[in-house]
Amino acid sequence: MKKYRTVSLFNPFRLWKYLFKKPVSHDMEDIFTKKNREVLRKDTFLKLKPKRESSPRTAPANLRGFHTNDWDKCIGCGTCEDICPTKAIEMVERLDVPDKEGSFQVRPTIDYGRCCFCALCVDTCTTDSLNMSNEYIYASDDADNFKFLPQSTFLGEEVDMGWQKDEVSNLLDKERVKMDHVLPSDRKSSFVEVVKGYSKEYAMAEAARCVECGVCTSSCPVQMHIPAYIKSIWENDVEAGLRQIYETNPLPGVCGRVCTHNCETSCSIAVNGEAIAIRWLKRYIIDSAPTDMYEKMISQDVSEVIDAKVAVVGSGPAGLGAAYYLRLMGYNVDVYEEMALAGGVMRYGIPAYRLPDTSIDKDINFIKSIGVNILTNKRVGKDISMDQLEKDYDSVFLGTGFFKVRNLNIPGADHKDVIGAMDFLPQVRDFERGVLKLEDIDVAESVVVIGGGDVAFDVARSATRLQMLKYGKTDVKLTSLENEDALPASMDELIEGGEEGIEFFCGNGPQEVMQKNGKVTGLRLWKCLCVFDTAGRFNPEFDDECEQVIAGKQIYIAIGQAPDYDYLPESLSSKVKIERGKIKADDNGQVSDVPWLFVGGDILRGPDLISGVADGHRAAKAIDSYLYKQAKDKKSYKKVEEMREAAIHNTPGFTPKQQARK
Amino acid sequence: MNSTNNVDFLKSLVEEKYKVNKTEVIDQYQISFEVEQVEVHRLLSELKLEGWKQLSYLSAIDWIDENEFEMVYIVFNWDRPVHVQIRTRIDRDKPVMNSIMPIFEGCKYYEREAHEMFGIKFPGNPDHEKQLVLEEWDDMPPLRKDFDPQAYSDRKFPVREYNNDFVELNGKKSKQKDRLKRAERIEQVGKRGNK
Repeated sequence: MKKYRTVSLFNPFRLWKYLFKKPVSHDMEDIFTKKNREVLRKDTFLKLKPKRESSPRTAPANLRGFHTNDWDKCIGCGTCEDICPTKAIEMVERLDVPDKEGSFQVRPTIDYGRCCFCALCVDTCTTDSLNMSNEYIYASDDADNFKFLPQSTFLGEEVDMGWQKDEVSNLLDKERVKMDHVLPSDRKSSFVEVVKGYSKEYAMAEAARCVECGVCTSSCPVQMHIPAYIKSIWENDVEAGLRQIYETNPLPGVCGRVCTHNCETSCSIAVNGEAIAIRWLKRYIIDSAPTDMYEKMISQDVSEVIDAKVAVVGSGPAGLGAAYYLRLMGYNVDVYEEMALAGGVMRYGIPAYRLPDTSIDKDINFIKSIGVNILTNKRVGKDISMDQLEKDYDSVFLGTGFFKVRNLNIPGADHKDVIGAMDFLPQVRDFERGVLKLEDIDVAESVVVIGGGDVAFDVARSATRLQMLKYGKTDVKLTSLENEDALPASMDELIEGGEEGIEFFCGNGPQEVMQKNGKVTGLRLWKCLCVFDTAGRFNPEFDDECEQVIAGKQIYIAIGQAPDYDYLPESLSSKVKIERGKIKADDNGQVSDVPWLFVGGDILRGPDLISGVADGHRAAKAIDSYLYKQAKDKKSYKKVEEMREAAIHNTPGFTPKQQARK
Repeated sequence: MNSTNNVDFLKSLVEEKYKVNKTEVIDQYQISFEVEQVEVHRLLSELKLEGWKQLSYLSAIDWIDENEFEMVYIVFNWDRPVHVQIRTRIDRDKPVMNSIMPIFEGCKYYEREAHEMFGIKFPGNPDHEKQLVLEEWDDMPPLRKDFDPQAYSDRKFPVREYNNDFVELNGKKSKQKDRLKRAERIEQVGKRGNK
């Protein structure tokens, strides 16, 4: 924009048009609305018709008159309430507006006794729903009538717009602070973490963008109090941030990297700009918190104060979530893990370039340090039986997840070079740890990955790296039923995967694994017309005339994972109901016919890591209410009692999305 | 004569004869000089003689940390289009600035406004203490940085209870209260460590 406009030589003549224009002036007599005519004209005897009706009033287009608020746009974030210098705005609760992710069921009221018409509320409105009209006349003899709940009309009348936010008056910072990524050419041949993380200055700059409205909290499955820890970053107080995070999330280092970040989707700044990088800010706190800061966090020993023992099967997000909160409440917790390292899918499913071992270790070490006992290389059902657990413990929590490969039923799929994601990814992690050598992993020069979720991208991008190391060049194709714009995987994966040279064949359904002389040569695809039928069920429809064959010597299948209930003994599996792979239980994960058995994570609800932590927390609270009454020995140390209460208090409710799914 | 010459002309005119603490050339149409309080009147008179005949604005800025007010005079010349800002710092505890009415008579309303908003006294302007826009103001001048608009609101306009028509819970439990309680508790957890 030019600072000074160049004006035409004829500009002065332009003004002549005003020569014959009628000057704008209104008699005071005419200036009243239907709403206030009685007050203004109380003393007049004659009430003429034109005076009874609303008269037009003229005001400049940017007049800061009475507010209007478009309720369809308003998300009740309350930023207007916070900025108001005279505290004229107060949010009132309206449960009649729909409960959606990324919004609160509150709307602003304005007290015009206090309002100074500064328009800061308009300039900071995150959704541009709050505006000012050019309506400026209102009279009443009752002071209470000056408090309004603005809607898109002013007192039921359509009004012209007055002051509206523009680029100059806007107070929100809509652009995210840039995050450094390792360049595709560098990261393709190693498992180095792609996202570099914020420095202190960058994190503080990003934190400064947050308006602290907290609409993100309701969409987070564990309802982390996000504005609190973002504010702590802004105040450069990492320790406070760490404490606030651990109130609701025992796996913050992991979540700071690979969470599905529903919070960012529902961020109020994202309505008109780029969401606050909530996930990366959380990661900043964990990465910059030294170990001794963790030690300070729980100063008192979390000793066994409640005489009850709980076994947790599976050390994934749900299991660790349950174990952590049970431990905080004073229970004795043993976690059984079949693999050599704790963490479940975090440890064996997600590749290291997204989630390095060090950050998993940091989270799990803290959980261990408060006294959670993790027993690795112990598979329940093999090394110890469920019956034994029932005998030895007062309650058992199952968080065994979906770790088995889901098969694809197409011709040719039972070949050894048709590999499941969950068979491949653990090998990749073990290679990265040095447990396996490059020669041990069988990756062909050209591969095809079937699937459109994050796991499919994990497979494709891991295969890219292994090919780079093995052959010095890559050939990875990815095919999914969904089109690129509707992939279940996150946008980052699509962008980063593309940068690393993955070829996409989205919107196609696999029909046959092509073979020649007993070797896989490729995959035959049909165009996918739609994935779901009209009833919303998964029922893909194909166009067999739009066919193509893509070449590849290996096919990887990442179309979802399945549970493994082999460990459940006969006595139990007859009582436990399993519906579409998930165990039937109440909201908190208590299995109805087996009161001592609790479940959580993928085998109860899914679909992501943080929902698993939430299940674990809810189950911990339910286990506590199941066991606490019966426990004989309840030594009450004040500190521990406080922690128990906090853990119960912070138990998350359901997000609107989960509520709708029920 | 082009506009760059105007700025140079002004710079040499002012900087040669006056002790200028700070010169800032904003662009070809705007320039600012910060001078001592005693020199303001002489400088404004000289500028007026040179053609800067219009007083566009007069106001103040509250630099509360430095305990000073900054007076700003803006004058304009219709023949040489440059806005000149003359700035000077005055004491904040006893803010007195001699009126410039002898030079620009129209300043009397601006000075009244500056008195009303900042409490600066302008000897030489007989009306400077007369109210301009704030009716029956009984608090500290509102543009001083230590004025608390919220406290003023609280005192003058007591908080009104909600009209029940606004709140709509349909007999259900309030979610807002629980949420605020939870939020407050978690914020407290962070602060606990800093005791």
